[in-house]
Amino acid sequence: MAPVSKDRRLLGAAVVCAALFCVPLVLHDTFFLRVLTEALMWIGLALSFDVLAGYTGYLNFGHSAFFGIGAYTTALLMMKAHWPFPLALLAGAVAAAAGALLIGLPTLRLRGAYFAIATWALARAIQQFALVSSFTGGPDGMRLTAYLNPQYFYFVMLAVTGGTFFGLWFLLERAPFGLKLKAVREDQESAKALGLNPTWLKLQAMVLAALPTALLGGVFAYWVTFIDPSSTLGDLVSDQALVMVVFGGMGTLIGPVLGAVLMFAFKTLFWAYLSAYEVLYIIILGAVIALSVVFLPDGALGFVLRRRRTRRQAPGADPAPAGPGLAPSEKEA
Amino acid sequence: MELMPQALLDGIMLGAVYIIIAIAFSLVYGVMHVIDFAVGEWIMLGAFTGFHLTTWTRVDPFLLLPVVFILFAGLGYLIQPLLQRVISGHTGNPLLMGLVFTFGLSLMFRGLAQTLFGFYSHSIPSHFSTGSFFFQRGDFFLTVSTVRLAGLIYAGVITAALHYLLKYSDFGLGVRALAQHKEAAGLMGVNNKRTSASIYAVYTGTSAMTGVLIGTILSVSAKMGPEYTIFAFFVVVLAGMGYLAGVPAAALLLGIIQSVFLVYLDPGYTLLAVFALLYLILLVSPTGLFRKGV
Repeated sequence: MAPVSKDRRLLGAAVVCAALFCVPLVLHDTFFLRVLTEALMWIGLALSFDVLAGYTGYLNFGHSAFFGIGAYTTALLMMKAHWPFPLALLAGAVAAAAGALLIGLPTLRLRGAYFAIATWALARAIQQFALVSSFTGGPDGMRLTAYLNPQYFYFVMLAVTGGTFFGLWFLLERAPFGLKLKAVREDQESAKALGLNPTWLKLQAMVLAALPTALLGGVFAYWVTFIDPSSTLGDLVSDQALVMVVFGGMGTLIGPVLGAVLMFAFKTLFWAYLSAYEVLYIIILGAVIALSVVFLPDGALGFVLRRRRTRRQAPGADPAPAGPGLAPSEKEA
Repeated sequence: MELMPQALLDGIMLGAVYIIIAIAFSLVYGVMHVIDFAVGEWIMLGAFTGFHLTTWTRVDPFLLLPVVFILFAGLGYLIQPLLQRVISGHTGNPLLMGLVFTFGLSLMFRGLAQTLFGFYSHSIPSHFSTGSFFFQRGDFFLTVSTVRLAGLIYAGVITAALHYLLKYSDFGLGVRALAQHKEAAGLMGVNNKRTSASIYAVYTGTSAMTGVLIGTILSVSAKMGPEYTIFAFFVVVLAGMGYLAGVPAAALLLGIIQSVFLVYLDPGYTLLAVFALLYLILLVSPTGLFRKGV
């Protein structure tokens, strides 16, 4: 894809960000602002999930661990040590990055599928640790002093998610780092033969995924003022991020955003009208994952791009080039 | 220390059941190169089916094992073509997608089980569950519960049956050929689709049957699935991926850890201990306890 069209897409993203920045200035409805803030959080989570899943080819089912580490570190430092919020937030990100190094070092030696279950098991172990420890408040969770300013949290969340998007765009689509990760995803041995260090690259990718996730977790903790092991470290955080990425389109930056917006709209409507059928939500999540894998292997974004390509392509014309990040990969290392 | 021999014995008899789960799990991986995230959910569904069949027909769960096997083997045989379609796709990363597919299945099964069977935990009643043998010599004594002994015997029988199936039947020859080289096996006349579907059926049936046994020895609940997925994975990684001969030792170790925690320490820490061990082993020797894995 020519760099011109990439730049146009970046301009589009900047315009969307600017428009989102103006929303609280014209809109004063607190409920709607709350919904938008949470939507922004999920977009950020889906984006950071895609760093490992889409670009590196490793499914991290322990994504919630980073979110929880960020949330708990921020909450503990603010409540027990009385640190100011921005400092506590940064400390949470540092803690999650250190955690990513510690978790990644042994688990990234496992091949694809085994890595997925290892991270999943580890996230459950961390959740159990938070449940049985006393300094985290155990199953009762932790309360933070409330700061009732919905606009403030909207802007902070927008800054984190927007920063994540543009940072990832630069690192993964512009800088050689994204290409290196894709090389490792396609064929680890060949990447090694080219002089790349796959283990080091994968570790970097894991830290890159952990940083924004922990920031989002910290903001989430201060925003909702109450955290417990199941809301921050639970499976549902990783599960929903996975649904958004798979449904939207893996290995791109627009795909997760699209998936997050659609799935979050569905989630909001579901909890507004069908909250009596709580269990139904997991069934639907599972069904969306399974069905989109079978019928939309490139996600909704890939489906739209392919439709547009076949429509534009006149009979007998040259086959159009593949979209960004949708190049076929024949085998997994 | 009077309880130590008892804890070890209970652990060994429980670990025998885990051997079956891990062997079926690695069989599917060997042939299709997909790890089934839903393994714990197959166990859970099997256990619930066994529970409801027993309370409905009043037949002993051990006699119902073949019925559960046939039911779930059929279900697995019907679901496998979808999975096959995902992993033989040409876009994206098919094997990763296969994993995501089984993850979706596991979420769906868990949600369905919570809807249909509720949140309570049950135990499957069996004629064996009350009886036990008691040995004593001085201070040293041991209780062998009949139901755990039956589990040990079951594990032996199923392992022998699977061994016979793989090593001495034409079907098993096809399975081993597929695991070695898919294209070459196809050229020799092994039907990839049908063999993969059959081995998946054997796996789902065996897992569900083992679920019934776990239900009689321990308990059944809609939330039990993930724990057994982690156990199955733990055994396979500990044994060394792709090294079937290491499975029994790893499974017995897991059973012993579990029962020792139950007797001496807080059972709430079992999962933490299991993970800590797994972490250390991956750090020191990523190819498993025997350094024979891939």
